[in-house]
Amino acid sequence: MAGFQEDLFYSREHTWVRVDGNIATVGVSDYAQEKLGELYSVELPRTDAEVEQDEPFGVIESSKSVAELISPVSGEVIGVNEDIVDDIGVINSDPYGAGWLIMVELRDLDELNNLLDAEEYRDYVGEEAAIEE
Amino acid sequence: MSARKPQSRNETSWRLLPFRVLRAAENMAVDEAVFRLNRREALPPTLRFFGWQPPAVSLGYFQKTSREIDVETCLREGIDIVRRPTGGKAVLHEHELTYSLVAAMDHPLFTGDILETYRVISACIVEALKRLGLTPEMVSEGRSAAGTSLEAYCFAAPSKYELLVSGRKICGSAQVRSGGAFLQHGSLLIDIDPGRAAAVMKVPAAGISGSTTTLREQLGRVIGADELARVLRGAFEDTLGITFAEDGLTAAEDALKERLLAGKYGTDRWNLEGKSTPDGQGEPP
Repeated sequence: MAGFQEDLFYSREHTWVRVDGNIATVGVSDYAQEKLGELYSVELPRTDAEVEQDEPFGVIESSKSVAELISPVSGEVIGVNEDIVDDIGVINSDPYGAGWLIMVELRDLDELNNLLDAEEYRDYVGEEAAIEE
Repeated sequence: MSARKPQSRNETSWRLLPFRVLRAAENMAVDEAVFRLNRREALPPTLRFFGWQPPAVSLGYFQKTSREIDVETCLREGIDIVRRPTGGKAVLHEHELTYSLVAAMDHPLFTGDILETYRVISACIVEALKRLGLTPEMVSEGRSAAGTSLEAYCFAAPSKYELLVSGRKICGSAQVRSGGAFLQHGSLLIDIDPGRAAAVMKVPAAGISGSTTTLREQLGRVIGADELARVLRGAFEDTLGITFAEDGLTAAEDALKERLLAGKYGTDRWNLEGKSTPDGQGEPP
């Protein structure tokens, strides 16, 4: 049963965004890690790289598939979670906390209007889950 | 290559690309081009059967080349090395029929779930194998080879709706998902040289024969690629209730294929080092 955090934004590509001023922290949702299964590897951008909303920013591999990570925001990468390189499983066990992926200096706060809040994401995932039955 | 308009999204009419035997780099460039443009061009689900000439080893997206395969042996034997856009482990492509399927993730037959996609495609291959007289099993349990000498070798660790005959793996598949579409491709083994595969993959030959089976072993004959492709096509059509229209790549797919060949799959930087450029298309910034 996937978990949701109320204070986050979510994307239809199953990433979450925590906003603090103009700095966003990005990760994959609990629903995403559950669907992907056991995670093996992740490829993330370097600090200083630019990311674009709705464009790929990295790649993740699980036991089931390789999946491109689609950025929910645009801006400059100012932090990358180095700890997960040695312990990728933390994305499975703590996707909203220690499993964060990148920090981005946001270029345009209005872009957050394109994202979902927790309730909208819960509905969105509920739709996907219902179709899968 | 036809200059026609993209087909409207008729869900039961899929595209079957022509069977070609190509170099490894071109095979992967075609697969990725079809994958990237499927949704953008509103193309139907697309199936392709293909072969590899010369023989090649393909690495999973994240694998470290020198750890997983013997590059010297590959160079000496004229075996191409390519890195797939999909995950999984090393595969030696020699006596096999390879399939690739591209579709939108939300296509009604696939429902967006990764496992379900494997299950649906495996069901079609199971049907084909039954039509050849075999008794395949779809295995849904993982069996990890981690920590064993077979770790690098794809076919040693069936998991998640992989296909077994006589308890051994006969078909291995891998997926990549992005931008609302997925690519799944896989190898159905016609025959195998365990010694050669072992030398390339740096694993014991006995491990390969013990975990893998082939159509030659099961049927007592070497089945031709065209016969196998025909049986598979029919199995996909009947299992899924679809029909295939034979068609080639669109102009856009062909152009992207050429760019990927030149900038990504034709380069050591991608195949051996796993380094791609920010746009993923291998073109230097």
